Order: sequence, then structure tokens, then C-alpha cells
Amino acid sequence: MEGKIIVVTSGKGGVGKTTATASIGAALALEGNRVAVIDMDIGLRNLDVVLGLENRIVFNIVDVVNKRCNLSQALIRDRRIENLFLVPASQSDNKDVLTPLGVQRVAKQLKSEFDYAIMDSPAGIEKGFENSVVAADEAIVVCTPDVSSIRDADRVIGLLYARSITPRLVVNRIMPEMVARGDMLSHEDVMDVLSIDLLGLVPMDNQVVISTNSGVPLVMQNQSLAGQAFRRIAKRINGESDLPIQIPTAMNTGIWSRIIQKLGLTK
Amino acid sequence: MNQHHEMECGIVISEIPSVKLKGVGDGFWVTITPESPEETIYKEIVELFERLKHLAINAKVVLDIGNAQGYDNLLNNIKLLLKSRFDVGNITEPPQKNFIHSEVNRQNIASINPYSSMIGKGWINDRSDALILAGRVRSGQKIETKGHLIIAGNVNPGAQLTAAGNIIVLGSLQGQVYAGYPDDEDAFVIALDFKTPNIQIGGIIHVELNSSLTGKTVFATVQDGKIILEDYLKLQPFGKIPWPTIM
Repeated sequence: MEGKIIVVTSGKGGVGKTTATASIGAALALEGNRVAVIDMDIGLRNLDVVLGLENRIVFNIVDVVNKRCNLSQALIRDRRIENLFLVPASQSDNKDVLTPLGVQRVAKQLKSEFDYAIMDSPAGIEKGFENSVVAADEAIVVCTPDVSSIRDADRVIGLLYARSITPRLVVNRIMPEMVARGDMLSHEDVMDVLSIDLLGLVPMDNQVVISTNSGVPLVMQNQSLAGQAFRRIAKRINGESDLPIQIPTAMNTGIWSRIIQKLGLTK
Repeated sequence: MNQHHEMECGIVISEIPSVKLKGVGDGFWVTITPESPEETIYKEIVELFERLKHLAINAKVVLDIGNAQGYDNLLNNIKLLLKSRFDVGNITEPPQKNFIHSEVNRQNIASINPYSSMIGKGWINDRSDALILAGRVRSGQKIETKGHLIIAGNVNPGAQLTAAGNIIVLGSLQGQVYAGYPDDEDAFVIALDFKTPNIQIGGIIHVELNSSLTGKTVFATVQDGKIILEDYLKLQPFGKIPWPTIM
């Protein structure tokens, strides 16, 4: 059976595309799929670092697209998670070295060899974005609950629809305490504007920073709330579409808040 | 000088033609200045009806000489001429009494209500150019039209609507709107949920949002060189138009 190309995009930078790509890719591989994650952010590669594979890079996606090597030579196998592979970006080139036709050719090959190929799109809507979405079957739009991220996501959603790709949404970095206080937009507010299918809600989690710096995929850390959220997202992508969306809630673990809860004095 | 000379000769040729013809419904309304010389009237009638060609056949004709009296002979001659030469249908005269009455009335009403002249006119054969779209208009999407624009859906922040006519948003309006492009200050904008400070009508730009109108249907128009936002349901701006009227 032919695999799927999924592009992870957002418009705005710094909302968690690379973390989402690494986490969803690792989670899908843990589910037993053959997965390739492809860093399309030519010139500003990050995905290798997040996955802890930066020391093993020989060839990259630019070499594959421009036929300087085979796809198999550029694929880096993850030693911790079976069936997870990385195609890194080039750090020395810029986004103009890739052509949509070349990307399409490589995407076809990826589809024949993998169940899922997840492309980490660069920020922006220019050439790098074009190259990332040209071969995509599905798209995941990542946004954070703030107006600038929402506006950029909205723009990207319009561009994806224009290419007949129906995007699904991941709302990242939700801080339930701030939402409860009314200081942060809730996921409902985000959905009101974007109105596309929701794939999952990811809470703010300090483990993400630890994971990125140590190169240990988030989804391998069982205590990470964000990791758990990404594992559920991967399950939904993998066919469990009726898995209920879990809404991040404020954690009241303090002794006083427990007593208050027991007494039924919560607001 | 020329006119003066003609008057001395006893021939009055006014600048206005002595016969005017206009189409009404399934026939023609012929307005005649009966004081003009009969030859001129006949000549002009023939010219006008020759231009109509086959359209004149069996057409209903109304001969209107205004309030003038004592031209029965002239009217009969014209009737004969039209029947024999152009094969027209029924020839009538406008009902005299009603005509005067309604004319006076119409003038009175017109001074009060500018729409009065439209009363009774059908809209079935008329049309209004409006682009009607359903769905959400997203950030970065631009919609431009030479007519009116109706969006059944929300307009997101960063979206742009531009219309030469009016803009109606059946949803939440958060993007930029420009009605009456480029300089029609009579245009208006209506939105069920008006959330944008970014509105332009004609050449006038508005940048302030009135918080008292939150959650209300807003009607935006230009008044005294400023864009005024008002509660549409409270204002009922079209409630005074007595007859459904084409925009």
C-alpha cells in the first residue's frame, strides 16, 4: 500500500512545527509504522537536533532532490525507535535550490517505501512552503493560542485549500491556567476563527525544552503531557479518528486546592 | 438671432421636439406638443415610428397631449395615420382627470419621499448586480467586485473585501472592508457581528470601534464626511422605503 505525505506547517515561525514533526513522527513509528521525517527548512535545519541525530548526517534532502545521492544514503535511522528515519535539511544552501518537480519525484519514492513521510515545512509562505506542500496528501497546521499565530495559520489554511489539501489543526502550547483566567485564547476561540478539523490540543510543557536539548523524542517520555498529547494525535492520524480530544486542564495538585475541591468550594 | 427671425415669420420651432416617444410595458407613450404645426407633428411621428420598424405592429399606443384642449381633430388624424401606416394596436389617450390628480399627488409625495416614483414599478425585470458568496473568507484572501457584495459567512482578520456597491456580511466581520470603491459615499456596510475598525466607504476611512455595538448588527454609512456606525435593527434605515426598491 502506498504511504502518505503529511506536511506540518504554520505560517508563523516558532509555534512548534519541528517539535510537532519530531513527536508525531516518533509516535507513529512507535505505533508500528515505517516513518520518515523530512526537514524542508533548507538553510536553517533543526529537526536533526530535536531528534538527537545531528552527528550522523552525511547527505541531505538537497543532495537527494538534486540527484547527488540516493534516498537510502540520506536516510538516517533512529537507533532508539525502530522504523523511524530522518532526511535532514542542508545547512549551507537556501530555499531556492529545491524545485517542486524534484520534491515530487522524491516524495513518490518516499511514498513507496514508507507508511508516513512527514515534512517539516519552514515558516513563511514563500518557496520553502511551496516545496513542502507540493507533494502533500495531508496537512497539519500548528498554531498557538495567540492572534498573530492564528492569523498566519488562517492564511496558510487558505493556501492549502487552494491546493485542494484539507488541513487539520493542532493547537500547541495551551496554558490551561491562563485560559481559565481569561488571559489566553481558549481552543474554542481558535476554532471559531480557523474552523477546520481539530487533530489535537497540546499543553505547554517544560519537558519540550529538555527533550529538544537532550535529543530524546518527547513521546518517549511517559510523564510528559505534551508527549502524551502528540501520541494521541499520532493515533488519530493512524486511523483512530474517534479518539476523543482531551482538553488540557489546570492541574490543582496542591494540598489546599485538593481540600477546597473536596469541600466543593471551587469556583 | 435665428430663433428671433423665425418667430417674426410666425413659425415657432422650439428647441424641444414636438413629439416624444418612450416605451412603457408592452406599448409606447407618445407625448405630443399640440401647439406645434401639424406638419411637424406628423413628420416627427412618422420618423419615430419608422425607426421602430416591426416593433410598432400591434403595439399599444398612448397619445398624450398633456392638459391641452380642443385638439380632437389632430388626435384623430394621428390615430388614422398610425393605424394605416404602421399597423399599431390599440390607441388610447391618458385618463385626463386621474392624470392631473396623480401628477399633483406624485409631486407632493416626491417632495417628501424620494422613492415615491418607484412605487408600482415592477422589479421582476430589473436586476441588481450582487456577488453572493458563502463560506469563510480567510486571512490574505481578497474579494473584489464591481457590484454589491454579500458574504454568507465570517470574514477573518486579514481578509479584504472591496465592492463598488454595498457590502453585507451575514456573519462576523473582522477583516478590512471597502464599500463604494472608489468614491461612492452613498454605499453602506452591514454586518451581523461587526468587529473591525478597518472600514472604508467611498474615500472615508474609519478607525474606531464603538464598544456599545458589540454583538449587534451594525449599519455603517457616511454622514457629514464621517463614517457612522449604528445599530441596524434599532435604526431600521430601509423601513421608510414604502415599496421594495432595487439597490
